[in-house]
Amino acid sequence: MLIFKLAFRNLFRNTRRTVLTSLLISSSLIVLILVDGLMHGMTNVMVGGITHTLEGEAQVARKGFRNDFEVEYTIDDPASVISQLEENKTLEGFGPRVIIGGMIASSYNTTGSLVYGVDAKQELKVSRISEAIIEGQYLSGEPREILIGKPMAELLEVELGDRLIITAATVDTNEITQELFRLSGIFEFGPEEMDKNLVFINLVKAQSVLGMQDNLHQIALRFMDPEDAKNKELPLFKQLTNEENEALGWLDLQPSIGAMIEMAGFSTAIVGAILFLLTSLGVINSMFMSIYERIYEFGVAKAIGTTPRQIIQLVLFEALLLALISCVFGLVIGYFLGDYFSIHGIPMGKMEVSGVLLDGNMYTQLMLYQFVNFPIYVTLLTLAAAIYPARFASRIVPTEALQRAL
Amino acid sequence: MTNLIETRDLCRTFGTEETKVTALDHVSIDIEEGEFTAIIGPSGSGKTTLLHLIGGLDEPNSGSVMLSGSNIADMSGNQLSDFRRDHIGFIFQAYNLIPVLSAEENIEYIMLLQGLGAAERKKRVKEMLAMVELEGLGDRRPSHLSGGQQQRVAVARAMASNPDIILADEPTANLDSKTGISLLEVMRDLNQQQNMTFVFSTHDEKIMERATRLIYLHDGKVEQDERK
Repeated sequence: MLIFKLAFRNLFRNTRRTVLTSLLISSSLIVLILVDGLMHGMTNVMVGGITHTLEGEAQVARKGFRNDFEVEYTIDDPASVISQLEENKTLEGFGPRVIIGGMIASSYNTTGSLVYGVDAKQELKVSRISEAIIEGQYLSGEPREILIGKPMAELLEVELGDRLIITAATVDTNEITQELFRLSGIFEFGPEEMDKNLVFINLVKAQSVLGMQDNLHQIALRFMDPEDAKNKELPLFKQLTNEENEALGWLDLQPSIGAMIEMAGFSTAIVGAILFLLTSLGVINSMFMSIYERIYEFGVAKAIGTTPRQIIQLVLFEALLLALISCVFGLVIGYFLGDYFSIHGIPMGKMEVSGVLLDGNMYTQLMLYQFVNFPIYVTLLTLAAAIYPARFASRIVPTEALQRAL
Repeated sequence: MTNLIETRDLCRTFGTEETKVTALDHVSIDIEEGEFTAIIGPSGSGKTTLLHLIGGLDEPNSGSVMLSGSNIADMSGNQLSDFRRDHIGFIFQAYNLIPVLSAEENIEYIMLLQGLGAAERKKRVKEMLAMVELEGLGDRRPSHLSGGQQQRVAVARAMASNPDIILADEPTANLDSKTGISLLEVMRDLNQQQNMTFVFSTHDEKIMERATRLIYLHDGKVEQDERK
């Protein structure tokens, strides 16, 4: 208890220095929490953007289909696959699709497009097509409905209700076929590539127009727990993957995003390392100042029988108290700032990353480990930084130190 | 009587080859248990250096110091600290109390190092404060005590561990005459009642008058050693 008192009182002997050092330590903790929270927030937006916009958290497709969207690469035994998906309890939903390249023409213009035939009802669970509608309405199942992006509507100079003709090659006979649709909705996902090129029609209509019977090109999956999609060893993936078909999570479907997430973690580590280095220097400087100021006291303490080990313990105890006080302060401020930015966001301007539009604000995501692990790291760092000054104090020669008292 | 302190051919120099100063030059003395010894001499004669070497606060260039039959040169840093804690009490000219601890806590500190229990520490602190006539002032920090009171606390701290030897470096130098005499009386009583060994380095005639032995140092050498 006396050692605690001694350490505590020593700490507040020079309040200004202790407060400044504490601010340095707590600021590091706050910045670390915010940077990590921001990285998580950004990653979530990116992953959410990819998985929830259209791609799904995972996909089932014929092997090779993803490479060049060859129409004849349809899922092998789609009925069996769908039956397995329907029985799986880990899935929140799945969306069967056909995807085919074609021409779309209005009375005024023509452009190339990637036509998605989707099941209007099931698609609601895996993508945000319905949320992206800015004019008209989402698919209801009526055969001649068609959704196009805003830039495509401008290019084709069409409005809701106008006629559009899709021209494509049929899958069964490879003959050119044309089908008339009426524009029922205009969407805007954000990324221009999507809004300029994608077209959505009803699945059954697409299958009939393209002569596909019940065949499918792709089934997008959405899990109850999004973490399942990251698991390459997921039983469902193994169950659905065979010689013909493959089931892959978004990390495999979008390896560039996986690399970016790794980079985000790496960036946090670099920021943390820089902060830790600066904080260490601050702590070392502060502890040395504190030791130099009372060097004669250490001399006296050693003279009356304090062992070098006990001197080290005392200095480390002071550092521990400093770290704990700083962590409490840092956690409180970090929580309130993190919470504020998780609601209001930090204005960053609009940017598109890997085809995902990040809107104007970046939101932090606070997680428990930031409030448990980071303070532990900061405390250990403060203690590590105090080891050198502590060893210096323990090696003070009493006679030299005592001369300073005279 | 047994020798509590034995120094043999103690030599201590400071500075580089060019600026070498010889503080002690082959000093050999024996101090018996219960002696009230004053090491006297002009400034720079080596009094404080001798006291520091006896207390193991400094290392000699050559020669040896035996305390209670143990050669302190054979002790590690931690062993020497433990030895000082249990066998030697120090009193310094500048009091050197720990400023952030109260008088009581300064006295208690050394007993904490000894590992005594809280109840025993409190009891002994009370006794020590009574011994140096500072009852009621135990909760004051050094900055709220006079020089004389601080030196009394320093004496109590030195006594708290129940040491064999008290080494006092100019303990009355910063005190007025009356306070100095009063403090000396406290130490003399302890010497006589508890047979505690005191070694002073001093210029103070009051200490010389009360000392049972005077060792006169000059230019680092023992010039005279007189038992009264």
